[in-house]
Amino acid sequence: MGNLQIEGLCKGWDFPVLDRLDLTVEEGEFFVVVGPSGIGKTTLLRLVAGLEAPDAGRIIVAGKDITALPPYRRRVAMTFESYALYPHMSVYRNIASPLIARKTPKAQIETRVREVAKLLQIEQLLERKPGEISGGQKQRTALGRTLISDPEIFLLDEPISHLDAKIRHELREQFHNLEALRKVATLYVTHDYSEALSLGDRVGMMGAGGLVQIGTPRELFEKPANLFVARNLGQPGMNIVETTMARENDKLSLHALAGGTLQFQLSPAQAGRLNGKNSGAISLGIRPQHIRVLVNGETARQNEQIIDGTVDVFEALGATSIVIADVGGTTLTALGLPDETLNYRQQIKLAVDTHAFHLFDSSSGRAV
Amino acid sequence: MSEKNYKLVKGLLLLFVGIWLCFTLFPLYWQIITAFKSPAETNLTVPTFWPTEWHPENFVSVFADPGNSKALLDSFIIATGNTLASLVLGTLAGYAFARFPKQAGGENMAFWILSNRMFPPVAILIPMFFLFDAMPWGTDSHLSLIILYLVFNMPLATWLMMVFFRDAPRELEEAAYLDGFTPLQAFWRVTLPLVLPGMVSVGILCWIFAWNEYLFANLFVGSAVRTFTIVIPTFTHGSQTLWNLQMAFSLIAMAPPVMLFIVLRRYMVRGLSLGVVKG
Repeated sequence: MGNLQIEGLCKGWDFPVLDRLDLTVEEGEFFVVVGPSGIGKTTLLRLVAGLEAPDAGRIIVAGKDITALPPYRRRVAMTFESYALYPHMSVYRNIASPLIARKTPKAQIETRVREVAKLLQIEQLLERKPGEISGGQKQRTALGRTLISDPEIFLLDEPISHLDAKIRHELREQFHNLEALRKVATLYVTHDYSEALSLGDRVGMMGAGGLVQIGTPRELFEKPANLFVARNLGQPGMNIVETTMARENDKLSLHALAGGTLQFQLSPAQAGRLNGKNSGAISLGIRPQHIRVLVNGETARQNEQIIDGTVDVFEALGATSIVIADVGGTTLTALGLPDETLNYRQQIKLAVDTHAFHLFDSSSGRAV
Repeated sequence: MSEKNYKLVKGLLLLFVGIWLCFTLFPLYWQIITAFKSPAETNLTVPTFWPTEWHPENFVSVFADPGNSKALLDSFIIATGNTLASLVLGTLAGYAFARFPKQAGGENMAFWILSNRMFPPVAILIPMFFLFDAMPWGTDSHLSLIILYLVFNMPLATWLMMVFFRDAPRELEEAAYLDGFTPLQAFWRVTLPLVLPGMVSVGILCWIFAWNEYLFANLFVGSAVRTFTIVIPTFTHGSQTLWNLQMAFSLIAMAPPVMLFIVLRRYMVRGLSLGVVKG
């Protein structure tokens, strides 16, 4: 057992995919890599697994450099996005495969397979072939094959992304409770931000070339380091309003570039952060949950700014609703209550929590 | 399509199949009835379409000459030996082309191997004869034909196995590596079982080619080894042909490939890789 250290890892084909990536995952830590499709998350896992050779950099497990070892000499267990179950073997043989490879005595294999199958609730399927079980059961089988092998590192590649919502939730709960995963370093890859926030001890957001921000789920969600992280975490996504800064009577305000009269007053603290650059473009980020739809003559609370808008789209989603409103040429998405049905083109008032603003430098994308 | 049109199309289709069946099955029917006729009945000016007397003993008297049964055995040894060699070489080469195309010489190399199957065999008949004559096993031996038929069967086996290996998901092999299996173990335990149905089909094609081959056998072998294909013409002596025995012997020679096909038919149905990946 031990931690996983990745130092200066580079990998590219016609273009660089990973560029000098550094990462340490501690023993017992559940680290989630989240990012859009095709950004290189799977490549990172395949490099750690030894299925790809890095162009440069080192991979160190428990102090031992394993960069040059072939996959079958590494103590790494991995689930594949496609499950990669052996179609000609029963579920039992699939799960037992890592133990068979290590020439474990038969009786011991039997006990371990039964244990793992019981844990994953697939005991009754052991004699079936992968072609005869459902997607969720295949996923559990693939997970069983991974869990049985007592590795130093777990690599999980989108393990639940292709399942339907109910089973996905069930398995997500299981990930929280699987003891085996909490004892060694685990690298979990997903494109689903809610999985990342739910499961990760720490989360790394991957962008072009490598990890853009690393931190606890709360840190990433509440203090995104740049526009990329802000855009990719959260559903519905953060509203980004392109603005330009204006100064009137020592007060800073942001004017929306889309035209119209939309402008936001900044608090002294926020203005202080912007003082370094007195003119310039600012991308203003507002999470939908920080915009309230005012109904029945409600008034603003403290720190809230009221703006007028018209409804473009209203979606009732059971527990919440999503309101997409046009505010003087700018589109804002707000979370509302499901029971206040709004009509297309209805005039509404939105209350924006000015304390929850995220400010980004438009040219660099960095948070200020 | 309307009900009426549908019936019309179906009727036409049946008619076409019926004509086709007559065309293909008539020679077989003629072969079967001739095999049961007496020598005199086979040579009537007005042929009979059904034997007036049945002579099943034709099938026994064919083997009065022990050379005939040995010919079947020789053919069997050559066809089976060649099939095994084609499968071993073709599987390994096909795997290399599918998984390591660059190192194996690329698409051009693979196509060149396939192209070996395309030239007219007769073009290499004479050169091959002299080449094999200079070899320690000579021309008149089992080994000579086993090796010679590789010229035709190995390209076919290589190409088809390459296609099957390309279809076999690479991730399964990778999963096996991560389980702790070496590349050779992974090939044996995971990849090979996946392409087994394909391998059986390739094996049948190779075996039937080697079993039926006449041109090269006629020139290469003849005394120590004789394949059944060069025995069949020997039922003609001078101007007289023992049609009934020739047909009986041909029928017996047809049995092994037909049986092989029936027994292995279910392996030829691909479908083992269904359900491998998500679905």
